[in-house]
Amino acid sequence: MTDPLALDPVLPERERSPQTFSDDLAHDERYRRFEAHVQAGGTVEPRDWMPDDYRTAVLRFVEMHANSELMGVLPEREWLMRAPTLRRKLALTAKVQDEVGHAQLLYRVAEDLGKPREAMFDDLLAGKTKFHNVFHYPTVSWGDIGIIAWLVDAAAIVAQQALRDSSYGPYARTMRKICWEESVHIMHGRDVVVTLVTGTPVQRAMVQEALDRWWGPLMQMHGPRSPREQDRDLAWRIKAKTSEELRQEFLTIYVPRIRELGLTIPDPELGYDPMTAAWHYREPDWNELRTVVTNHGPMSQARLEFRRLNREQTAWVRASILGAPQAAA
Amino acid sequence: MAPAKTSGPAAQPAPGVLEPFEVFRQEKDGDPMRHGGSVMAPDPTLAIHYAREMYGRRQESVRLWVVRRADILDLDDPDLLQPPLDRSFKKPGGYVMRDKLETARRQAGTTKPKARDR
Amino acid sequence: MTAAAAADLLPATRNALALLLLAMADDEFVIGFSDSEWTGIAPILEEDVAMSSLAQDELGHAQALYRLLAELVDDGRDADGIAYDRPPEGYYHARLLDHPRGDWAQTILRRYLYDTADSIRLEALAGSSFAPLAALVGKIRREERYHLMHAQTWLERLALAAGEPRDRLLDALSRLGPDAGTVLTPLPTETALLMADITSATAAEQEARWRASIAPTFERLRLPPIPPTADPGTARTSHSAAFHELHAELSSVRRIDPGATW
Repeated sequence: MTDPLALDPVLPERERSPQTFSDDLAHDERYRRFEAHVQAGGTVEPRDWMPDDYRTAVLRFVEMHANSELMGVLPEREWLMRAPTLRRKLALTAKVQDEVGHAQLLYRVAEDLGKPREAMFDDLLAGKTKFHNVFHYPTVSWGDIGIIAWLVDAAAIVAQQALRDSSYGPYARTMRKICWEESVHIMHGRDVVVTLVTGTPVQRAMVQEALDRWWGPLMQMHGPRSPREQDRDLAWRIKAKTSEELRQEFLTIYVPRIRELGLTIPDPELGYDPMTAAWHYREPDWNELRTVVTNHGPMSQARLEFRRLNREQTAWVRASILGAPQAAA
Repeated sequence: MAPAKTSGPAAQPAPGVLEPFEVFRQEKDGDPMRHGGSVMAPDPTLAIHYAREMYGRRQESVRLWVVRRADILDLDDPDLLQPPLDRSFKKPGGYVMRDKLETARRQAGTTKPKARDR
Repeated sequence: MTAAAAADLLPATRNALALLLLAMADDEFVIGFSDSEWTGIAPILEEDVAMSSLAQDELGHAQALYRLLAELVDDGRDADGIAYDRPPEGYYHARLLDHPRGDWAQTILRRYLYDTADSIRLEALAGSSFAPLAALVGKIRREERYHLMHAQTWLERLALAAGEPRDRLLDALSRLGPDAGTVLTPLPTETALLMADITSATAAEQEARWRASIAPTFERLRLPPIPPTADPGTARTSHSAAFHELHAELSSVRRIDPGATW
């Protein structure tokens, strides 16, 4: 969902995307036809010829998305065992299960582009590939569960809907399936939030406090603004909208829905300007984004370590029963 | 002449090796089978379990076909599927009669019938 | 519907039925809750989704059974109140389910032992004179077919893989074996259940049937047979430290604001 390219401005030089979009690349006839095809709305399938840089760009995009689903499981998982009613327990378990399912769908797309699943797990755990900022933060209360399921998923779905017409066929189709499944999660999240807001004073305070903590990461989630003309992933229609377009769309839909519940958004500069037809807001803390996505966030190392340990503990099953190769030493 | 470009059944892999199985699903009675996606599994038994989970746990399918990817015959040869010479005689769009109909009506002194009479 | 059917019951029958429903609901609740912990951390992604579905099914069965129980006892508690708001000593699940989920081998073995025993219990209830229970059991049995398929295929894979998988399975068997029969240990109110045709077989018959049903599989897989049930008198009434921890977690949010709607 968040374009890895969009993170380049906040990353140190050595961690940025190795290939910059440039018109100086040698173009042969096949490359030109490929570009014309995708720019005219054409689709690319796994067995089609594609330029190496297109394959690399798609793989990078999909891999980060897959990693994010896998890591995104962890903040909510902690509350699976504490869900306070049977219905919430079932809904939350099904939601986390869906996220695992989405990871499966996305890793499959990436595998069919040539990178084995175990290699992707190796790179994730070694910090070579990244996962989205929101999954580096702790969950502190049941209020967080409502806010994440509603607003984090909403911000993600805004990005995912824009990917349903991606030029890479398997990714586009996966996004359509994911968007359909995610709509239930947002309803569950909103239901939790509305229930808390209309509940006891303790519950109301819990959900407002959660919103206070999550608003910053939410505003950073789509990444810093980047110019359209230099965006390789846009040029190849891997994605369709810029970071800022996605953020504006999220604000347009969800700010009114948050405010109608009587919740306060912790940004005094947030407002819609009809003259520019855009939301203005306090500049998100891009330093924080950099710190977090380079795995220095509050929970980054703990969660990666959790995954490492879990992978070791279950390796015996894969090795002998499922035939998957062992992780690289 | 070059052979048609296809891929076909491969030899069975060693037992316990993960390989992709394609999943086709039928949404409701009367619908065609449509490709849903794929799962990795070491054998058909687990492939069926996983297909059911990924493409049927929400009661969203009434039928699933689960097939080893290696067993699928794939034809995408443009010479066979999109041959270059005119084949419009095989398609409805190949029959444009507007001018001839106008001529026939003029000769017969008739007008174009209303929609429900056609 | 349940209220009408319940009104026809003698008090002794109603008490016996309530205890049976509590036992079954707590069994499903505890195994479902425990196995749901695998969500997000199972050995492969596809298996993660599968195990989560099994756990959700069990929780769904628990929810339906608690609802039936709530209507039967009609004491003001709803299904959630019964499921969540008891101290650990108030739970009535079988000791087999007191064990933690452990590693993958222990989870698979526990599922196999529980699902096979539960299927015998459900079979004896399929023609129950208490219509709401018979109807629910019919639905549950259809879902349980998938559970049995999954448990069977995994038990075989583990048992037939020489080395670590089989060793871990045998370790789990040595821990769970003595408690496996607790699912079918007679309830103190068994006589009333039989007299009212709530169930069609004694616990002893059910346990014999269960042992006979799994013996061929155990022989074929060269697994040592399940020993006689240890401490049958406390089959459902003494709970482990592991269960106390599970209970503390599952009630932690509710306890923040008792009586609140979540």
